[in-house]
Amino acid sequence: MSGALTAPAARGGTGRGGRLLRQAARHRVGLTLAVLALFPFVAPYEALAVNILVLGLYALGFNLLFGYTGLLSFGHAAFLGAGAYGTGIAIVHGGLHPLPAIAAGVVLATVIAAVMGFLAIRTRGIYFAMTTLALSMCVYYAFYQMEPLTGGENGLRGINVPALNLGLVSLPLIDPLVKYYVILVFVGTAVWLFSRLLASPFGAVLEAIRENENRARACGYDVARTKLVAFVISGAVCGLAGALNAIHLSIVPIETMHYAMSGEAVMMALLGGMRTFFGPFVGAATFLVLQDGLATLTSHWQLFTGAIFIAFVLFLPSGIWGEVVARLKRAGS
Amino acid sequence: MSGAILRTEGLGKRFGGFRALDGVSVAFPEGGVTAIIGPNGAGKSTFFNLISGAMPPSEGRILFQGQDITGLAPHRFTRLGIAKSFQITNVFPDLTVFENVRVAAQARRVRFDLFRDRAAYPDLARKAEALIAEVGLAGREERLARELAHGEQRALEIAMALAADPVLLLLDEPTAGMSPEETRTMMDLVRRLAAERTLILVEHKMKLVMDLCRRLIVLHQGALLAEGTPDEIRANAEVRRVYLGKSA
Amino acid sequence: MMIGPYPLDLLALQLVTGVALGAIYVLVGIGLSLIFGLMTIVNFAHGAFFMAGAYVGVFLYGYTGNFWVSLVAAPLAVGALGLLVERLLVRRLYGRGIDDPLLLTFGLSYVIVESVRILFGLTGIPFGAPPALRGAVDIGIGYFPLYRLFLIVFTALVVAALWLFVERTSFGLIIRAGARDRQIVQVLGIDVSKVWLVVFALGCGLAGLAGILAAPLQGVTPEMGIPVLAEAFVVTVVGGMGSLAGAVLAGLLVGIVVAMTSLIAPDMTKMAIFALMALVLLVRPRGLLGRAGALG
Repeated sequence: MSGALTAPAARGGTGRGGRLLRQAARHRVGLTLAVLALFPFVAPYEALAVNILVLGLYALGFNLLFGYTGLLSFGHAAFLGAGAYGTGIAIVHGGLHPLPAIAAGVVLATVIAAVMGFLAIRTRGIYFAMTTLALSMCVYYAFYQMEPLTGGENGLRGINVPALNLGLVSLPLIDPLVKYYVILVFVGTAVWLFSRLLASPFGAVLEAIRENENRARACGYDVARTKLVAFVISGAVCGLAGALNAIHLSIVPIETMHYAMSGEAVMMALLGGMRTFFGPFVGAATFLVLQDGLATLTSHWQLFTGAIFIAFVLFLPSGIWGEVVARLKRAGS
Repeated sequence: MSGAILRTEGLGKRFGGFRALDGVSVAFPEGGVTAIIGPNGAGKSTFFNLISGAMPPSEGRILFQGQDITGLAPHRFTRLGIAKSFQITNVFPDLTVFENVRVAAQARRVRFDLFRDRAAYPDLARKAEALIAEVGLAGREERLARELAHGEQRALEIAMALAADPVLLLLDEPTAGMSPEETRTMMDLVRRLAAERTLILVEHKMKLVMDLCRRLIVLHQGALLAEGTPDEIRANAEVRRVYLGKSA
Repeated sequence: MMIGPYPLDLLALQLVTGVALGAIYVLVGIGLSLIFGLMTIVNFAHGAFFMAGAYVGVFLYGYTGNFWVSLVAAPLAVGALGLLVERLLVRRLYGRGIDDPLLLTFGLSYVIVESVRILFGLTGIPFGAPPALRGAVDIGIGYFPLYRLFLIVFTALVVAALWLFVERTSFGLIIRAGARDRQIVQVLGIDVSKVWLVVFALGCGLAGLAGILAAPLQGVTPEMGIPVLAEAFVVTVVGGMGSLAGAVLAGLLVGIVVAMTSLIAPDMTKMAIFALMALVLLVRPRGLLGRAGALG
């Protein structure tokens, strides 16, 4: 399943579907950005579009570990939260300009990811999910406890960024559409870098580790170090998503760091298709539109999200986008 | 012994209370094929796992080209020039044959390039293609490894091991589970490979290796039973006793 | 006699409090470890089963007014739920990747928690110790709540019964053999699927039992299982995954660390557990009583 959209030199048959896939894979960054650029015009409303953009990036960062390295982390909310709090604190308490504030959020997330990763990669296989979950709960309680800085239970409020002042121009973030495209610039840059990473020799090592950790070691790769680097990059990408989310929402709810939020990354990646490049965005859109729609019908929407997730695990583990890609590939060969 | 590429001194391995290997001291000469033989349960695979770095020994030392390498991490063994092919087929199942070998070749040159394209290293691609051809898999480059026949997967593993440019190649029962036809192809390959590097081969089919190897090491019940040239081993009364009735 | 700013008696009492808290961790941890040891499944719904046990027990107590009925019925009901879950859902995933059952039980935890919210409301139910177990008794170093004492004794009996079951029965032999090497069980021609069914239900039942036992300490809420899941993970990582003795040791250790931290540095209580885990990961990644081979 991994071939089609993981490497630009994609597999796929010689038929029309196969050619289409190869073309799509070669231009995956451009296509992703084109879809995202048009997205606000089809999304139910703009705030939801921004949510999907930001959480899509979160799911993408998470999926570097889950889909590409084969490591299931249940602690990524710590990085989303660290990015959000880092940015929020820099703006609220430090009075920083949004750009360095975003950088501060990413740095905080990266540092926390380095510490968590250093501890978590000492465990293998299924332990990894448990350890990351437990360590992220520790980060959650730490931020919960630091009330003067983080606002504790009430969350960090007052992250007001009405406009992004760039010297020559000032972009009014009050306008939801402007906000969407400003955030898209960050997400787009991250997606481009991310795609480069996956296509790089390092990306190849990640896939090798996912496929067969022992064989990767026998080939001469330092598996532990590679995993740690992947973990930190993944944390940094999720930290950027958190930083953008803080500016988008003007508040960081403590739930941003909660275990349930880590679970949402898992859900989005799996719903969309963890072995595909675009899958996490599809998953984020599906999850958030579903949640948005269900929430208007019932306050117990989590019952349905849980059941739908179970159904995907049982019957469609390759996810929505993964299935689309697989069908195209079959049609092509 | 002078000219030894690999030496073990009092090598032993315990699993809990079970002593799988006990005090094995042997030297492997440089060049040609040395075979490790012995009946089932003799400790061959344990010995293989120790000298290939897959697991650390409980006691004793391993010396490679005179350097003590006991307890080094597995990937260090590979970087020193010791490559191995496992008994259980061990490839990257969902990657293509080409990518399997290319990523193995890459380990020697570039491990932490996070930004350039994989295609920016055409020498690695050329090397992978040459190795795939050398083990007889030309034309199979774009197949997924898991789609290959058993014998082909073993050949692929050897190509991956060769990608590390090993001076010492370790093969654990390369013909296990193979048809007579596949076995013949594999033994031809082993013979070709031995012309350029040192090979250590674990095998329990004694006949298969007798006309191939320069030296034999016979393990029995976790200890060294005998070592010598094929003729010496054939004439060894102890070995005959152990193998009596097991003329496979 | 004083140790630092604290009288020795107070520290001793806090130690016993820790053992009582640890009793809950022990039961939750054993259940999780049992399922993992034999089936290599991390049950992410373990916290939800814990919460379900508490609700079943509290609900029945409202009708019968008899805590002992709740104490028997809660684990049985949750165990039965475990049977259904294994049969209908988890079973379909055998032979797939090791992450799949984990993901499935994760989704299941949402369904269980939300079902409880639908049935019993969002706010939770206050619950205290049954009248017969209220009050405090003098245990030589001071007065100690009777219910917590009961918790220690009762858990000790359950653990002893489990130990006899695992060490002295033929079924226990299968569990031990299976935890060491699952292929052995298959080679012996034992119907593995039945063994897994029973073990999964048993593990879930233990979570349910822990839930009703914890209810008088804190009341019940639909979310009470979430921190417990994380803490149960700490217990299994610290104790060594799949090791029952390790779960007992680590459960008590976690309880004592919580109790002592809440005396010395109350703000740090929640984090102390995870600091303990980080320490174990640094010094002994396989856990206190874990085998090296079990890490794969």
